Amino acid sequence: MKFLDHLEEWLIASLMGAATLIIFVAVVHRYLSGLPIPWLQDQLIRINASWAQELCIYMFVWMAKFGAAYGVRTGIHVGVDVVINRLSPRWRDKFIVFGLLAGAAFTGIVGALGASFVWEIGHTDQTSADMEVPMWLVYLAVPAGSWLMCFRFLQVMVTFVRTGSLPKHDHAHVEGLDEELGARA
Amino acid sequence: MNALVIFLLLLVLMLTGMPISISLGLTVLTFLFTMTQVPVESVALKLFTGIEKFEIMAIPFFILAGNFLTHGGVARRMINFATSCVGHWHGGLALAGVMACALFAAVSGSSPATVVAIGSIVLPAMVKQGYPRRFGAGVITTSGALGILIPPSIVMVMYSVTTNTSVGALFMAGVVPGLMLAFLLGLTTWVLAKKHNYPRLPKATWGERLVAFRKSAWGLLLIVVVMGGIYSGVFTPTEAAAMAAVYAFIIAVFVYKDLKLSRIGKVLLDSASMSAMLLYIITNAVLFSFLMTSENIPQQMAAWLTSQGLGQVAFLLVVNVLLLLAGNFMEPSSIVLIMAPILFPVAVALGIDPIHFGILIVVNMEVGMCHPPVGLNLYVASGITKMGISELTVAVMPWLLTMLGFLALVTYVPQISLWLPRLVYGTPG
Amino acid sequence: QAPIVIKFSHVVATDTPKGQAAARFKQLAEKATNGRVKVEVYPNSQLYKDKEELEALQLGAVQMLAPSLAKFGPLGVKEFEVFDLPYIFPTKQALYNVTEGPIGRSLLKKLEPKGITGLAYWDNGFKVMSANKPLNTPTDFRGLKMRIQSSKVLDAQMRALGANPQVLAFSEVYQALQTGVVDGTENPPSNMYTQKMHEVQKYGTLSNHGYLGYAVIVNKKFWDGLPADIRTALEGAMRETTTYEKAISQRDNDLALEAMKKSGRTQFTTLNAQQQAEWKKALLPVQKQMESRIGADLINAINKEGVK
Ligand code: NA
Ligand code: NA
Repeated sequence: MKFLDHLEEWLIASLMGAATLIIFVAVVHRYLSGLPIPWLQDQLIRINASWAQELCIYMFVWMAKFGAAYGVRTGIHVGVDVVINRLSPRWRDKFIVFGLLAGAAFTGIVGALGASFVWEIGHTDQTSADMEVPMWLVYLAVPAGSWLMCFRFLQVMVTFVRTGSLPKHDHAHVEGLDEELGARA
Repeated sequence: MNALVIFLLLLVLMLTGMPISISLGLTVLTFLFTMTQVPVESVALKLFTGIEKFEIMAIPFFILAGNFLTHGGVARRMINFATSCVGHWHGGLALAGVMACALFAAVSGSSPATVVAIGSIVLPAMVKQGYPRRFGAGVITTSGALGILIPPSIVMVMYSVTTNTSVGALFMAGVVPGLMLAFLLGLTTWVLAKKHNYPRLPKATWGERLVAFRKSAWGLLLIVVVMGGIYSGVFTPTEAAAMAAVYAFIIAVFVYKDLKLSRIGKVLLDSASMSAMLLYIITNAVLFSFLMTSENIPQQMAAWLTSQGLGQVAFLLVVNVLLLLAGNFMEPSSIVLIMAPILFPVAVALGIDPIHFGILIVVNMEVGMCHPPVGLNLYVASGITKMGISELTVAVMPWLLTMLGFLALVTYVPQISLWLPRLVYGTPG
Repeated sequence: QAPIVIKFSHVVATDTPKGQAAARFKQLAEKATNGRVKVEVYPNSQLYKDKEELEALQLGAVQMLAPSLAKFGPLGVKEFEVFDLPYIFPTKQALYNVTEGPIGRSLLKKLEPKGITGLAYWDNGFKVMSANKPLNTPTDFRGLKMRIQSSKVLDAQMRALGANPQVLAFSEVYQALQTGVVDGTENPPSNMYTQKMHEVQKYGTLSNHGYLGYAVIVNKKFWDGLPADIRTALEGAMRETTTYEKAISQRDNDLALEAMKKSGRTQFTTLNAQQQAEWKKALLPVQKQMESRIGADLINAINKEGVK
């Protein structure tokens, strides 16, 4: 399980970093190749960077699907909890379990729909426009990400039922800031 | 009838406290399985293609840039600079907070990020200086909202994607209203501070100001890099977001050295998960608006709104009321994605400028972020100050009223938003 | 009895030639079938976007589309990239010899294994090259950043001219041209005008070097399942619509060019015989270069139609 957690974190963090780098390089490439320096221009135009945008989009789609699963584990998905927070703890807990089950149901169904979609696309010759990679491989993010998310919802629910604790993301937390303020005070 | 079923289902699911994205998605699935001919497989297709747009990629980039700035000491240096400029007036540190929020907003696309970046440094300092906690929380919660009005702005990116309006023009249009709102929030702060005689800082000498400016210059330069790069044609607004992230990374790690290389992974991970959450809401909202379109609901609602014979004035009033209501229980990205497709066609038919309409929506979203029950800025501020939501709600009141007044102004004086883009682009719109 | 519903989705505005033709087809089809068929037109990517509409059609989520011909390459029918080749249609007649003759039919047949039936070809028009400097000879393109749609053929075309091809999202093009992220682009006059690109391009060359067109397609299973008499009636309506579409796309391109010339923002030129020869010399090798992708036989067959 720890291995899966790390793989998930490692995957989305590196997708984030790599996509940024790719666009940065593509922009620098375009800028330099627009400069009227003949020998440099010839060299640079020969390098084909037209795949950069498409690759960036696909990387971010994958990051989004797996990041959403990671988000379930860390409690980052925002919901409207004002109403249930006013209920008695017993009823509140029931709604929380219901919400988690609903999340598992939705992502489970979407995963199945996505899998059958990927299966069908897999039997065609569809490719992406720029990189010409098979589309089924690209779309695989939907079933894989959704089922991982489904698993995470169930995991969180089991933990909640057992221990009564939920992962809670603190939007206001800045890593390392407390130490700094402490040092200044 | 279908519209009623759909909205009711969505509302009920949302109120159970499940994530907004899940309630949107479940509404669509339930409806597709029970009531229409639309093949459910199209859901899988939409879940992929909903975010398969290069313009949307600006969102993760801006979030990453914002995180590098916050963790990399850029925000802290901006505050020092702002303090040296306005610290000696009534409510000096609070005014510096407003100014720092405005500066930070010019490099960050998100409001909660602005509240975190500035608030987590300014608020403890204010308390230490003897300001009431309520006062500081009120200032920063509302000033942080400038994050989406002063360009760059994630909400503007979303509006432009849903309505095919130029992001560049929207960014331009946000500058004047953003500066104006910053001024008004500062004014409110000053008046309150003067009335209660809140502490002032010793006046900084020009030399000290210069030093503070020089130290923050690398961060301030990002404003020049982003806006300059876009308008000089080095990169597009989407690419600008990626450039900002790389620039912020270099400043944080190699220039200010506030961010250790070993923490980069954590910053990437945090940015990725925050982006993924937003992108997940977007996908499900796209799915939801797809369902509504295939049921002809936006078209019917737009037709109904048009048939009411509302003029511009009345329509804009209705829009404001609707959006303020929506701001009670949803966060900006979902509101824009769900409401814009319905309201935009009517606005265009009534001759309202798409850019002006976009700014109006953004200001509405700003208000919505600062009041309960759902208000991201408020949540973030409560996290920093450890104050309860109801206490914070009272705290933000004076500034919230200022914002509402400003909203009325922006709604009925389109020149505020349109003057600058028209000056730059020469053509209307 | 409930009418048969045809959802016709497209990605352009209602006042474009394609948008108007879709509306005309609705009218003609509903009349020809005495209301037994109801056509619902969804313009402006309301229902499905550019990138997803073909999948939606294959799933049966929509019944009818008119995507641009460049979309069939990624679908696995690379032969359609032939339409993107420079100077493949020397005249409009050469184009119609292909699209209305056996070659056009056999190309549409290749879509059937994908679950798609092709009904007709619609025009967008022949393209204008534009930039902020005059484009008279291939040397004028040297180092220019030219915006293209994702396409291997167009990429090769721009490279053959010595230009630097750039793929850019359509929504970013106007501003990119204005600020200079890219220097120029190619478009039929009507697209150039409706996207207001003439405001940000100083020069246009009426080179007729390339063509942009659409194919009207339907979901094969849906189409084959229709009663024979209805299918015949719809085919008739489509024929009539196609004639109408060709006429208005020609008219729109003429009007757009007229309006752009009148605005004075863009200066348009035509190529003299020598310049045209230079363009051809630079661009014709692209046909050869693409033979391995598209098929030499098809390229040769189409070139033969041109000299008929
Ligand atoms: Na901003
Ligand atoms: Na709110």
